[in-house]
Amino acid sequence: MLKEIIKNIITKKKVITFPEGFNISPEEAAKIVSFQEKIDRAFSRSLRIRQVDAGSCNACEWECTALTNPIYDIQRFGIDFVASPRHADVLLVTGPVSRQMELALRKTYLATPEPRLVIACGDCTIDGGVYRGSYAVSNGVANVVPVDCYISGCPPTPIAIIKGLMELMKKISG
Amino acid sequence: MEEIYRKKGVKIREHLNEQYIEVSRKDFKDSCAYLYEKKHSVLRLMFATDERRIDNSFRIYTVFSIPGIDRFFIIVLSLKDDDFTFPSITTEIPAAHWYEREIRDMFGLIPKGHPDLRRLILHDSFPANSYPLRKDWSITETDLREWGEGVKQKEPYNFMEVEGEGIYEIPVGPVHAGIIEPGHFRFSAVGETIVFLEPRLFYTHKGTEKHFEGMSFFDGIKLAERVSGTSSFSHSVAYCMAVERIAGIEITEKAKGVRTLLLEIERLYNHIGDIGNMCAGTGLAVGYAKGAVLKENLMQLNDRLTGSRYLRGINVIGGVTKDVFLQADAILSTVNDVTHGYKDSMRLLLGSASHIERLENTGGLSKDIAQKLGVTGVAARASGINDDIRKAHPHLLYDRLEFESHTMTKGDVFARMMVRAEEAECSISMINALLENRYEGELSVEVMEIPEYSSAIGYAETPRGSVFYWVMSDNEGRPFRVKLRSPSYCNWPAVPFAGQGNIVPDFPLCNKSFNLSYSGCDM
Ligand code: SF4
Repeated sequence: MLKEIIKNIITKKKVITFPEGFNISPEEAAKIVSFQEKIDRAFSRSLRIRQVDAGSCNACEWECTALTNPIYDIQRFGIDFVASPRHADVLLVTGPVSRQMELALRKTYLATPEPRLVIACGDCTIDGGVYRGSYAVSNGVANVVPVDCYISGCPPTPIAIIKGLMELMKKISG
Repeated sequence: MEEIYRKKGVKIREHLNEQYIEVSRKDFKDSCAYLYEKKHSVLRLMFATDERRIDNSFRIYTVFSIPGIDRFFIIVLSLKDDDFTFPSITTEIPAAHWYEREIRDMFGLIPKGHPDLRRLILHDSFPANSYPLRKDWSITETDLREWGEGVKQKEPYNFMEVEGEGIYEIPVGPVHAGIIEPGHFRFSAVGETIVFLEPRLFYTHKGTEKHFEGMSFFDGIKLAERVSGTSSFSHSVAYCMAVERIAGIEITEKAKGVRTLLLEIERLYNHIGDIGNMCAGTGLAVGYAKGAVLKENLMQLNDRLTGSRYLRGINVIGGVTKDVFLQADAILSTVNDVTHGYKDSMRLLLGSASHIERLENTGGLSKDIAQKLGVTGVAARASGINDDIRKAHPHLLYDRLEFESHTMTKGDVFARMMVRAEEAECSISMINALLENRYEGELSVEVMEIPEYSSAIGYAETPRGSVFYWVMSDNEGRPFRVKLRSPSYCNWPAVPFAGQGNIVPDFPLCNKSFNLSYSGCDM
């Protein structure tokens, strides 16, 4: 261990080790490293996300919570979930947008400073998913606020959410 | 019971362990009160149906079960002749308070004598006099949009106000600070102390019950799995059970084994996760992290077993789709590892005085209030109510398994943690016991035909408490009415009582100890 650390200090090699349980292939791991560099560049090493539940079944929230556990540990990429939309670069919205949450989502969106990016996370954010057509939902986030990127899955796994964030970074920073 | 049966005009219908007792309007209240007061029964659920298509009436169903008897007593009241009122039973049976308000919102049937007739589920800008669960209801695009935008208050909602010197209000939500679901809380506080708390929920109301009516029985499973994320499996078990009971099918040993096993795995991952989560409320980061890792290990096991981290896609009507017993070794080794880690982290938590001191005497819920409000699950058992659907109405393989339902008396946050801890150990031993045996039979049996206009109850014990589905078929082999009652729906009204007298900063901890689902409650 100590030897490893000293070697790394000497060679200035940047190692990202993925803990056991973070099931990802070596190629994908390399992509994640470059993704982090993009965050470093575009958001000065810190991408702040505000999660908004717009009527989800709560499985999508638990997957976001899982991102902060020691296995996925999303904070190490410079990403974190923040408590207020005023501190956020990105809104991560889940759920088909229930009618009774529509207003709250709009207000949260308006409270977010530019660039005000929106990620819609989960199948039901795309078109309402299983709830599509119900009187109490508005069949997808795009009907309420503009969406920059979708993550599919019901719920998307934590790794799928990380990949979704990578997509978003690719889109905005090339 | 004899007292009810002796009354005039009583019609009785039996179906498995369900006994439907149809009473007249004037006997309705007495019959319910008799079951509640004399027989000490528990109000399991209460709902209405719009059966005007069949015999021109609305019906109110109140489902009771008497401790120690595996039988549901369902008092049925028919409302005919365009008299859209029924006698409220809330003053006698406080647990009925939300059910009756819900019936008013969704069917426009007025519970006469209910002390609080404000809207519950539908918020202010939903059009007045518009009742979604009536069969002939529809809504215009304009109305829908205005509801969503919340511009006009079409039926006012007044929060309760506390008056007095030094009392101020703290409104919180619906969008909260953490990664949690939406709900609005209005605290009235003196200094730091909560004098009164009024939650306003149902922000995530998705019209699930109505949506079921537009789906086939088979597709309904997908919806049932998505009522409450972390109880996906229990919800689908209860839903499938109700439909199977209508169709009169007995599922095979094997299917029962798979369902029981996965129910316990679901309980285990939730309880371990919840115990860890409570540490986030007290700032014990290491406890939180340990809990999160253990939970993640179990979620990955779920994924390997079923292809879904939330155990979705396994239940079908008539059985299950996958024999998870083939992966018994994987289950055993993960559960063993998790057990070690879990015992380790429990030692840490119980040894941490600062953690335990925050939990003890915080968020106390008395047995009396819990009983009156019909609280269920972990919250009920922590307050000394020995109620567990697995024991009260044995189903699947639960009558063959040895387990205890653990109770504590104090009803505080600590009690709720300890009930979870003991149940987690119980689940571990049940999982081990289940894996020792072999179960015979096909994975699923075929569903021939679903009789028209018949109904049945399905139930299960989720990690939070009992879940009920009451399903009725129509004459085309589709769902006519699906009533779902999640445990969170029963437990939410108790949270303000547990919060009272505590300081505002302890509320998140108190809330975490209940760990209720908003989506499950809001339907
Ligand atoms: S996408 Fe699926 S898991 Fe996520 S909130 Fe919607 S129904 Fe739930």
